[in-house]
Amino acid sequence: MAAAPPVLRRSLGRCRPLCGGAGLGGGWRPPARGASARRCSTGVTPDGINKVVVDRIIRVDHAGEYGANRIYAGQMAVLGRSAVGPVIQQMWNQEKDHLKKFNELMVAYRVRPTVLLPFWNVAGFVLGAGSALLGKKGAMACTVAVEESISDHYNSQIRTLMEEDPEKYRELLQIIKQFRDDEREHHDIGLEHNAESAPAYSVLKIAIQLGCKAAIFLSERI
Amino acid sequence: MAAAAAGSLRRAGWRLWRGRPVVRCQLYPPQRAFHASAALRRASDEHKKEPSASSSQQQFDSHPSDRQPEQEHQGPRPSYTGQGGQESEDYESEEQLQHRILTAALEFVPEHGWTAEAIAEGAKTLGLSVAAAGMFHNDGSELILHFVSQCNTKLSELLEQEQKLVQLGETEKKTTDQFLRDAVEARLRMLIPYIEKWPQALSILLLPHNIPSSLNLLTSMIDDIWHYAGDQSTDFNWYTRRAVLTGIYNTTELVMMQDSSPDFEETWRFLENRVADAMNMGNTAKQVQSTGEALVQGLMGAAVTIKNLAGLNQRR
Repeated sequence: MAAAPPVLRRSLGRCRPLCGGAGLGGGWRPPARGASARRCSTGVTPDGINKVVVDRIIRVDHAGEYGANRIYAGQMAVLGRSAVGPVIQQMWNQEKDHLKKFNELMVAYRVRPTVLLPFWNVAGFVLGAGSALLGKKGAMACTVAVEESISDHYNSQIRTLMEEDPEKYRELLQIIKQFRDDEREHHDIGLEHNAESAPAYSVLKIAIQLGCKAAIFLSERI
Repeated sequence: MAAAAAGSLRRAGWRLWRGRPVVRCQLYPPQRAFHASAALRRASDEHKKEPSASSSQQQFDSHPSDRQPEQEHQGPRPSYTGQGGQESEDYESEEQLQHRILTAALEFVPEHGWTAEAIAEGAKTLGLSVAAAGMFHNDGSELILHFVSQCNTKLSELLEQEQKLVQLGETEKKTTDQFLRDAVEARLRMLIPYIEKWPQALSILLLPHNIPSSLNLLTSMIDDIWHYAGDQSTDFNWYTRRAVLTGIYNTTELVMMQDSSPDFEETWRFLENRVADAMNMGNTAKQVQSTGEALVQGLMGAAVTIKNLAGLNQRR
């Protein structure tokens, strides 16, 4: 009789909804109805937003802006009273605005922040202060490297959302495009202030961009 | 004669269903199995056999060979739900059928516990064969998970309604600790009808193969409660708040198992104390932080004083 249950299960196993994931033999699934987006097993909310994709995007962008904030804070701590102080301060203010916007989005979409936030807090400050200790050009080199990473990252997110559905994600796309333009501007300001003549510019740039890629990878998932 | 005709009709239907050539059918286990399944099928889709059978037949004819291996995996398979998961109104998917059986089984839990017997009894009340319990695992896991999921949904609806009332101005907005207490109490009260057998359920939920699902349900419930409590944290507080509430919920649940006071008064008092502790913890954390900051400032001041005394602070 042990053979019977598998037969039954197989014969009745037609109408399984297309949800992935490990499960019991029969595959228990939470009901796909329900008010909360989180409850839906396929990850698509009633109004059609791909929760998994949007979750990752907002989480990693929030972590990025938080990190950028701390980098500028570190740079200001060292170079605040120098000639480039006002320039860094202005870029920092824009990053603060970005962070505020992502905080709002995070609450609106009920996204969980990354666990690594305390780590990015310290790491960002150390990177900012460390690069600023190499001088004004070092700080600008760091800015150029980070902003280039971030604008590439925003570009790929814009591509992802456009591939999904430009209409559904119009608001999010607009925000990300705006921020990408701001980051691009920071990148250009950094170049204007002689970032390229910083000591060991290419090594610094590669190292920082590698760090950014790792940070992005981890923040999306953890 | 009629019986033989019925038997052959059933077999033909079975073969159509399986999309297999006539001869291979002999490989399947004895009549009992497919009689039961055929009976189940009949009972659950009385009026839709004809339209769906024809469409299903087309689908089966196109994949006769990959029927067998495909069923063991969760890969895409022809389903009666049609395009884009749209379900035709009169056809019930397997998942809906499972939910109906589990819901019906709940009323037999106080008597039979969280077991396959309860599921079998539930299936009987729906007019299905007892063998329907074979759809589920032997240890009653799915029944418990279904129950927990149902309770969580009920809780969400309750909190949603309460939120609407507050928005319309018909009730006062509660303080955080009061809100948390009420939410946890409401959720735990849903266990009262099954309290005798709940310890068994808890131990089943801790089995390794159930942990992902049960953890998922627990975390989404706690997140829901905090969301309706108005939590808008976007930093590490997000995690500490949820961890604290999970601890409160779990310990209160365990206390409830042991509680024999009238209407579980002891449990609610325990809950009140734990929530108050949690609120105090927040204040204590703030105090520690401000003490730390004051200390750092004191040290910086001492360092500057020493530099002045040593003459290192002069501008050259």
